Amino acid sequence: MNLLDISTYLGHLHPLVVHLPIGFLLLAVIFQIISYWPKWAFLKGAVSIILLLGFISAVFACIFGYLLAGSGDYDYYLVNSHRNSGIFIAVLSGLLYASTLSPISNRFKIPSKVFSILLIALTGIMAYSGHQGAGLTHGTDYLNLQILTKQERVPPPSVDEAFIYEDVVQPIMESKCGSCHQGGKRKGGLSIHQLQSLLKGGKTGPAVVPGNLSESELFRRITLSPTDEKFMPSDGKPALSSGETAIIRWWIEKAMAVEGKKIKDLQETQKIKGLVAYSLKLGESPEDEEGGSDSIAVNPDIPSTVDQIAIESLRKKGVVVRVMLQKPAMLDLTLPSGKGIALNTLSDELGKLAKNTVWLNLAGNNLTEKELNVLPSFSNLEKLRLERNPVSDGIFDLVVGLKHLESINLSETKISKSGLEKLGPSSSVKRVYCWGTGASEVVGDSSGVWVR
Amino acid sequence: MSHHHDDEFRIYSKEFEDLHKKWDRRQFLTQTTLGLGALALGGLFGKNIPGASPAAMGSLEQDILAALPHFAPKAKRVVYLFMSGGPSQFETFDYKPKLIELAGQNLPDSVRKGQRLTGMSANQSSLPIAPSFYKFNQHGKSQTWVSELLPHTASVVDDLCVVKSIYTEAINHDPAITFFQTGSQLPGRPSIGSWISYGLGTDNENLPSFIVLISKNAQKDQPLYSRLWGNGFLPSQHQGVQFRTGKDPVLFLNNPEGYDGTDRKEMLEYLSKLNTLQNDGYGDPEVVARIAQYEMAYRMQTSVPEVMDIKDEPDEVFELYGKDSRDPGTYAANCLLARKLLEKDVKFIQLYHQGWDQHGSLPSGIAQQCKTTDQATAAFIKDLKRRGLLEDTLVIWGGEFGRTVYTQGKYIADNYGRDHHPRCFTMWMAGAGVKAGFNYGETDDFSYNIVRNPVHVHDFQATLLHLMGIDHERLTFKFQGRKFRLTDVEGHLVKDILA
Repeated sequence: MNLLDISTYLGHLHPLVVHLPIGFLLLAVIFQIISYWPKWAFLKGAVSIILLLGFISAVFACIFGYLLAGSGDYDYYLVNSHRNSGIFIAVLSGLLYASTLSPISNRFKIPSKVFSILLIALTGIMAYSGHQGAGLTHGTDYLNLQILTKQERVPPPSVDEAFIYEDVVQPIMESKCGSCHQGGKRKGGLSIHQLQSLLKGGKTGPAVVPGNLSESELFRRITLSPTDEKFMPSDGKPALSSGETAIIRWWIEKAMAVEGKKIKDLQETQKIKGLVAYSLKLGESPEDEEGGSDSIAVNPDIPSTVDQIAIESLRKKGVVVRVMLQKPAMLDLTLPSGKGIALNTLSDELGKLAKNTVWLNLAGNNLTEKELNVLPSFSNLEKLRLERNPVSDGIFDLVVGLKHLESINLSETKISKSGLEKLGPSSSVKRVYCWGTGASEVVGDSSGVWVR
Repeated sequence: MSHHHDDEFRIYSKEFEDLHKKWDRRQFLTQTTLGLGALALGGLFGKNIPGASPAAMGSLEQDILAALPHFAPKAKRVVYLFMSGGPSQFETFDYKPKLIELAGQNLPDSVRKGQRLTGMSANQSSLPIAPSFYKFNQHGKSQTWVSELLPHTASVVDDLCVVKSIYTEAINHDPAITFFQTGSQLPGRPSIGSWISYGLGTDNENLPSFIVLISKNAQKDQPLYSRLWGNGFLPSQHQGVQFRTGKDPVLFLNNPEGYDGTDRKEMLEYLSKLNTLQNDGYGDPEVVARIAQYEMAYRMQTSVPEVMDIKDEPDEVFELYGKDSRDPGTYAANCLLARKLLEKDVKFIQLYHQGWDQHGSLPSGIAQQCKTTDQATAAFIKDLKRRGLLEDTLVIWGGEFGRTVYTQGKYIADNYGRDHHPRCFTMWMAGAGVKAGFNYGETDDFSYNIVRNPVHVHDFQATLLHLMGIDHERLTFKFQGRKFRLTDVEGHLVKDILA
């Protein structure tokens, strides 16, 4: 639980609560005016209590509004002005209510007409303040006469005819960044509504620097790790897809962040055409071509998930399970030497985790080929440690099918040099440690490492 | 409203209580906008907010730890052979033949470029160039230049990745060594080993994941402080545990005299119960750390004597490491011990050998240093290699800075000294994930400035973490209002040296 969230939560109530004073105060004006007709004169008595309700709800709206303003980066001037007018409404409605109370109304008598005019003025200020508030949430151009004359953008007929910024990049940004960086909301001082404002950027500098990815804060933020505090979109809002990111990357890096240019007029478009087609709903999702140059190549056969119960069970039995990577789920299993844990008591769990196991250490556990017949199921194994076990050349038959196996530690075992020959030329094994065995003499080096 | 009884306003909630205990004043003030009012509301709303639980309190730390490792690690363990004092690059790895003809001449200003010198040599009337008194030869398939002082290291040079372009920011021992170990020149940050222990935990619950060994057979001219392997602001169980020589390898581990220890486990269980009560009452994370340390100490009562016992090592091993290796606490014996600890999957071993600070009489001083360490260092590499441990262990060798091309004091061909030099020096790495038989970086003819591929201390640290599967930018810990990491706000992965 975080108290920050409570004030945010209350702040989010502002748009709801704010409609109460609007309703009450409007009702007070309406009652006040129609009470001039003799038929409705009795309503005049209700104005006072309605004003009180309007005043109380306006005070709450102000408090919640204050919390809301603190939770987001709204346009500074707009939010200040909205706050002042809101407070003014609360104060004025309070004063007007007070003037209806007998101890006060007995002392200064406000003429009924003045009271009515003040009430009407209050309504006017309320309309003004309400418009500002709407501008903050929906953008200042939300309620705009131009909407009547604005033309919908015609979707481009083909990828070649699409404008890279207007048809492709801008819609991505509007859908993924718009809720915080558009209209009256400019978190971090950034607005994405036009190219100009992207180049200008926000508090941390320009969002987009043409041709320079590393200086482009926007690109940096959307490509951070999702767990990073600075990652955008923040607060768990839907992130950009890898295709969208690739388009923005291309637009900044290769297309120099242009606007008003069609795809067909740009260079090096081959790579992104498929992605653009998909984003314009003109084509199928292309295969993810860019594997991310920074990521380390990982064997695609390793399952992305892992049986957690099997891991826990192995740990309870004394096996050390080290998670090497979470996605895909890569494991390093160590059967501690000298603990007397029998391999066959683990076969259930090992069966479930075999494909996730990338490193396996069974050193010094008095194992022979017979117990090790589970090895072929460890199809993604890269490193295998079997040193100080009474295994002989038969071990090579068990591992020869492991097509990702890179190194085997067989030092101080009973292997011989004819065993090594079983590793055919197609084997993936690059290093065999055979120090202290009959095979070490074929290795020139005193360390006994057979290297290919 | 005064007729209401006070009790009606009391809010009882478990979350409220936990919150009260686990927040300090600063957190409280920074994270509440409404102060007490919001706290009371927090109690009211707490139960209804999804995900609200005491566990969410440390959620920043939990999120960071849950994301680890960030990449598939190449290295599972690290051994850092720290040559404290600043070994000269001129008499070890950075071969500078052009200096021979310049011997005794003043160092050109065009090389020094107005760099500030230390108080020890700034007042010298001249800065005479001192070439290495020792000869160099190329070794191995990699044809790496190694001085005649390091014949054993020369024999394993094809397993090393020699980086000749390390540079640091500090010019004196304490800030420089603190910088290397913690990423900051000022004391107080966690050591590399502590970060790794904190981030990756342990692979052997019977031994600490971060162990420190210090050679006894070295001249202790520059001191080492335990804060160099301190946990800083990380939880205390991640501090390095120093293994000493003699009867008590780890202090305060043995049972007191006259106590047979048979009911020690029972005693510790009661103590743990008491500590748990204390933790429930105050929620101080250090209580949890204390419980963990007591339990670790108990397990270490059996695991430490077992790992320190070298009786079963064959003679051939002692011959490999040199005769010192039979004498516990020497550099050679510590190397052998480090191998035994690696076999037990201890994650980070920090080994220190002091005495590399040759301001005067460098030729004889450094020869002695090399003689004490060379054979054992090379033996360590050979031993790890044949046992297959180099496959997933990263070995690092280096000091806190380099030494100057000019002599401190008078230049005599066989008797000169060198002052501290932060702008370039040599380190090497070997094993998991780094290129073997590889030379990286280049210095100018005076080994004064770097001309190619500079590697900053933070770059080295970023690379070390990367090999362990950690993105140095993402392993952070929030302390006093800001997130800290080993590489502070700098550091770039040195991709060129990765295998």
